[in-house]
Amino acid sequence: MRYISWTAAVLFLFTGLSYPQDASPSDPDTIRQLVQQVKELQERVKVLESQHNHVDASDAPDKPSNPPTPQAEPVDQAASVPTASTPVVAQEFHELRGVQWRGFGEMDYKVLNQRTPELGTYGFVPGSSGNFYTGDFGLFLTSRLTAKVSVLSEIVFEEGDAQSYKVDLRRMLLKYDYNDHLKMSFGRYQTDIGYYNWAFRSAAWLQTTADRPLVMEFATNGGLLPTQAIGASVTGEIPSGGLNLNYVAEYGSGDTIRPDLNGDGLSTDENNGNQTNVGLFARPNALRGLQIGTSYYHDQISNDLLNGLTGAQVPSPPDSPGQSARYDQTIVNAYVVYLAHGLEFLNEGFLIRHSLIGGSSVFNTPAFYSQFSKQLGPVRPFFRYQYVNASPNNLIYNDVGLRYGPSFGARYDFNDYIAFKAQLDHTVRRGEPDLNGLQLQFAFAF
Amino acid sequence: MRGKAHLLPLLIWLAIPVCISTAVAQTGDVAVVINSDNPATKLSRTDLRKIFAGEKRSWPAGLPIRLFVRAPGTHERVMLLKLLGMTESEYKRYWTTQVLRGEAQAEPIALPSNGMQREAVVAYPGAIALVDAQDIKPGMKVVRVEGCMPGDDGYPLH
Repeated sequence: MRYISWTAAVLFLFTGLSYPQDASPSDPDTIRQLVQQVKELQERVKVLESQHNHVDASDAPDKPSNPPTPQAEPVDQAASVPTASTPVVAQEFHELRGVQWRGFGEMDYKVLNQRTPELGTYGFVPGSSGNFYTGDFGLFLTSRLTAKVSVLSEIVFEEGDAQSYKVDLRRMLLKYDYNDHLKMSFGRYQTDIGYYNWAFRSAAWLQTTADRPLVMEFATNGGLLPTQAIGASVTGEIPSGGLNLNYVAEYGSGDTIRPDLNGDGLSTDENNGNQTNVGLFARPNALRGLQIGTSYYHDQISNDLLNGLTGAQVPSPPDSPGQSARYDQTIVNAYVVYLAHGLEFLNEGFLIRHSLIGGSSVFNTPAFYSQFSKQLGPVRPFFRYQYVNASPNNLIYNDVGLRYGPSFGARYDFNDYIAFKAQLDHTVRRGEPDLNGLQLQFAFAF
Repeated sequence: MRGKAHLLPLLIWLAIPVCISTAVAQTGDVAVVINSDNPATKLSRTDLRKIFAGEKRSWPAGLPIRLFVRAPGTHERVMLLKLLGMTESEYKRYWTTQVLRGEAQAEPIALPSNGMQREAVVAYPGAIALVDAQDIKPGMKVVRVEGCMPGDDGYPLH
């Protein structure tokens, strides 16, 4: 019997010794749980204390004789559930009613190998030996008015010539999300022609590269597309199972003035009619990260030439249809994008068609870009190739011509909010010397 | 008699690790909890990923979804990142991107305790949160994920 007892004691001792070895990985969990319980108890005490104080105050006999105290802003009925803890409600209340501020900015240095001036944008002075500029600095404000209604505004301070800055209300939207199938926005929006304009909006920090592809550049910086409009935008999911089909429909006024790219100092006032843009895109469940989409855009535009500095109208060339001529502008887009496992593979193609109303002139301008990058730790090397081919007879894009070439470089993320980019560009231009450029950029979000 | 006496402690010794491993397995599951008034009872893993990625923003009845997540370093946070297929850094950048795109009002509120998650889930009808299965408390409605409840074989959030 004594032998049995000793055996049992040894076995239990051995069990006791082996148990901590097995359990040692869970010790931090136990501590974590205890700390968590202490925190929860502390929160509970705070809530009880606040409720107790509230009861004391309301039960105080001299309260009616006291002067009325200012009342806190009433919270939602849901938020005033007696069990709701104060910190959660306070934070949520701010998120529900307060203004959320975010922002972005950039600091650039650019140099080109050609002194012949082209269009300078974002503060870059063309024809110089290279210079620093600050590009776009944006303040991004959002506020939720009700559970389904919110306001979004994007105020951008854009550097112009000689360190002058202009303010651009790049987006201002009153948004109403009825459900996932119907989300409406009213105000100034960025047109959802293609993927890039939707995905990267205005912030350089969002982009892998230091600049936008030419075809997706903002129209006010010489880009080809009407990137902004004022009107209504509707988007949402279409029940489609694993295909995850979404739609977008926009109707608004563009009224774009586009400066010429070739540095002739002229701008084109397109006097856009009301534009219509409809699109579809799919994000199949079967291949996460894949997005395929297409869009169709139509409006009517003019080709009124303006002096880029004074805004005064400039006589049209003698061989042009004149200031009163209007063109049907149709833009067809298709894209395939894959973003997963650190890969970024963007491919977008455009066909921009201008047809003289009442005439026989029709011009097709094809454009595309492909961009590939891979995240390797904090570094993301990238490669982009872009192509735009506008007919020299197309008076609307006669400043664009044929341009194509590669860009490559790398983005280095110092942390989650600051990135440094270095980019080399080589652009072949029809009738002009090739253009080589180096661009360095700090981009940040806050 | 002597043989049976030998067996008893041996069986106890063998049983203890089994019990411990079972308990550890239970703590590994993370439950998906919603407000008790929300009629939803089940979600697919894809739906769950879309919800916590902010791609799906309303419940089928149209009620806006209110996301609540745990702070970094917690078991629920690890499960959230696993669900989304992101690192902590990618998660932060993802939400900054979503906000600057205008696709989200703000990054989901990160709460330091499951007690606060419970309060939030109780307070907001459209709330959804991930809670360690051991910390489920009254007022939290647990939904099935891929037809499974926490503790079931094949439960995805393990």
